[in-house]
Amino acid sequence: MRRRVVITGCGVVTAAGTELEPFWANLMSGTCFIGPARHFSVPGMDPLTGSEVELTEPDSLEQDARGGRCAQLTLAAARRALADAGLRPQAKELAAAGVAIGTTLGEERQVGDLSDRWPATGTDSVDGGFFSRSDNHRLATLVARKHGMGGPTLVSATACSSGNAALAWAYELVSSGGADVMVAGGADALTRSIYTGFLRMGALSKTICHPFDKRLDGVSFGEGAGVLVLEELEHARSRGATIHAELAGYGISNDAYHITAPDPNGEGTVAAIRQALASSGTALEEVSYVSAHGTGTPYNDVAETRAMKAVFGERARQVPISSIKSMLGHTNGAASAIEAVACTLALRHQAVPPTANLTEPHPECDLDYVPLRGRAMPVSACLNLSAGFGGFNVCVVIKRAP
Amino acid sequence: MTPASTDSVLQPIAITGMALLTPLGDTPDSLAASLAARRSAIEPVKDMAGVGAAVIKDFEATRYANVRGLRLYNRPTRLAICAAKLALVDSGIEAAGLPKEQLGVLLASTFGHMETLLEYDRSLVTAGIQRTNPALMPLAIPSAPGAALALSFAAKAFSITLSDGGVSSLDALGLGSRLVEGGRARACIVVGTFSACQDLMLAASRAGLLGSASTPRVFDRRRNGTSFGEAAAAVVLERVEDARARGVEPKAYLRGQASTFAGEPEAVESALRRASTNALRSAGIAADEVGLVSAGASGTAGADAAEARAIIGVLGAAAPRTPVMAIKGNLGEAMDASGLLQALSAISAMRSGKAPPILGLEDPEVPGLRYLEEETDVDARHALVTSVSYEGACSALVLSRNP
Repeated sequence: MRRRVVITGCGVVTAAGTELEPFWANLMSGTCFIGPARHFSVPGMDPLTGSEVELTEPDSLEQDARGGRCAQLTLAAARRALADAGLRPQAKELAAAGVAIGTTLGEERQVGDLSDRWPATGTDSVDGGFFSRSDNHRLATLVARKHGMGGPTLVSATACSSGNAALAWAYELVSSGGADVMVAGGADALTRSIYTGFLRMGALSKTICHPFDKRLDGVSFGEGAGVLVLEELEHARSRGATIHAELAGYGISNDAYHITAPDPNGEGTVAAIRQALASSGTALEEVSYVSAHGTGTPYNDVAETRAMKAVFGERARQVPISSIKSMLGHTNGAASAIEAVACTLALRHQAVPPTANLTEPHPECDLDYVPLRGRAMPVSACLNLSAGFGGFNVCVVIKRAP
Repeated sequence: MTPASTDSVLQPIAITGMALLTPLGDTPDSLAASLAARRSAIEPVKDMAGVGAAVIKDFEATRYANVRGLRLYNRPTRLAICAAKLALVDSGIEAAGLPKEQLGVLLASTFGHMETLLEYDRSLVTAGIQRTNPALMPLAIPSAPGAALALSFAAKAFSITLSDGGVSSLDALGLGSRLVEGGRARACIVVGTFSACQDLMLAASRAGLLGSASTPRVFDRRRNGTSFGEAAAAVVLERVEDARARGVEPKAYLRGQASTFAGEPEAVESALRRASTNALRSAGIAADEVGLVSAGASGTAGADAAEARAIIGVLGAAAPRTPVMAIKGNLGEAMDASGLLQALSAISAMRSGKAPPILGLEDPEVPGLRYLEEETDVDARHALVTSVSYEGACSALVLSRNP
């Protein structure tokens, strides 16, 4: 028998806030946090645009000699999620708890540092620490080490659906009895390989991203992390934890279509949504809100709109769907984990966040994208969509606490 | 709370296809013959004094797989595609007409993207942004080898990459079992791949992980580091009833898997013991029923002794009589591929009744285990596979000859 999995803690570090309530208020106001990037550089390029996190102590101190920017973001979000769950470091409940972290590029900046030294020093630039610093598994093990967690430590890469995927693996472990508590989410720093790659492919916005808008011309990037504490229902109840929501199930698919482009008809997204609904025992009519992948590229936003129509049929226009990437930019592997936190907060506040920068919809985007300002409304079940380069689709269902 | 986490018994999962590509053989049988003959693939690395590695010579991907785009992919990705293809053929499931929506891929790869990322990033620095190859970036991210696998086999159920360092492929087998058991795919290829590019080899060497240019001294008192080994290995997982329904006799059964973490070196022994005990418990198999251990020991200073003590702790009174094999003396540390190689070698031993000797072991540091000194007859119904990563992650797997 499958065990029920609940969310007992949330943590985010984003440009829109590093504590839950300010983060939520900023999202609801439709404020865009994409601007000049100051802590990130690309050789030969200036200025750069993105959303950046301002970390202060003690988060800035988390960047010890063993962790780069991505680990720092992960640790900061995990610390918040565990505190929100009422789990102190080294708490006995954590002794067998595990960590699952998804990332698109992980510690890519370690490679950048090496490359910067390469022209002058060649192979001498390769230091012994590079082997462990570039090992993305450390995004999970650093969290486990810091908090005294002795369970599974998983790091997974499914490009920009990595955050949702990590939630899915944590769900698998908790629901099947492999763990009682998992700390799960996603993290990415701004990385120059993705930034320049999108620029060269013509997929980087020339201004700021405009998901679902007539002006949609590409992605803006951001950095951040979102981490959730997932827990078996009775385990959470027995320790008196506050249960924020239920992670009721997930769906997964691969387009197997192209190394970068999504299937134009969104068939993989449709398959993931349908599987997520079946897996979570959720009827279509129960879905109150859809958190879109909504990157601001024509490829994605049009395909995602088509997928919504294929799944919801006539009802598609009545289901609010929004993209908080309009405010945070695309935080890659962190995005769907941050969006999962937003879904959890939507259930708490009975309101849904907006799509900012949306004043005139794209002709092929004709759903209710909750333009410009958040909206108070009854929320009982959220679909959290994500997709990534390489056709990776993962959809997670987050429902009202049981 | 019911059931408690460690009491859950997993359904057996059928292994219906097996494949590997190693410097000592490109089939489980040819590798087993090389291990039995005490062959070592470790050779000195050119231009890196005192460093050895096991490298597949004359690897021609097109000999094994004919898929679109193969030449665009880097070496670890091509190795993974070829191993996956061989495992699929071995399982016979493609010929059985499996819908692509029912095929999933789980790839163990921590560093499979690294050489391409370094190439892309260095071109950015040395040639400037306008000279970078835009087609290279999508292949430079950690999920790229997994994307290439999904495309190569039209695996529409899922393609997932796990990057758990040296325990990736045991973790992937555990996750793959859960996904197959949960009906997320009818068949799942679990594949691990590792090929150390020059920079990784340099970094590991400068970090003191790599020993001399000869065979690593696995479990030995005089061990002084490991050597990297290039390899890919793959299995196809199915539910037992699905394998039976298409009239296929599974090669072996995956019965249990568990992962733990040791925050400090002193905790590795207890963490691996916990992983092994949990894996056995989830398999419903007692420690004294284990007929063979396939250990991950690689000759590094830290983990070998802790692994030996953990195995002794798990096996208890059965420790002195239970055969222990370890293949990294022959093949080197194949990181993300290593757990699968250990599992496939254990399956070969269970099926043939002959387990290979541990190469490079003369003076065991931790006595009390039956380290195999020569090819030995074994009658193992169940095997325990253990692994510890450099980061302190521990993973254990339980395999059975019968369901």
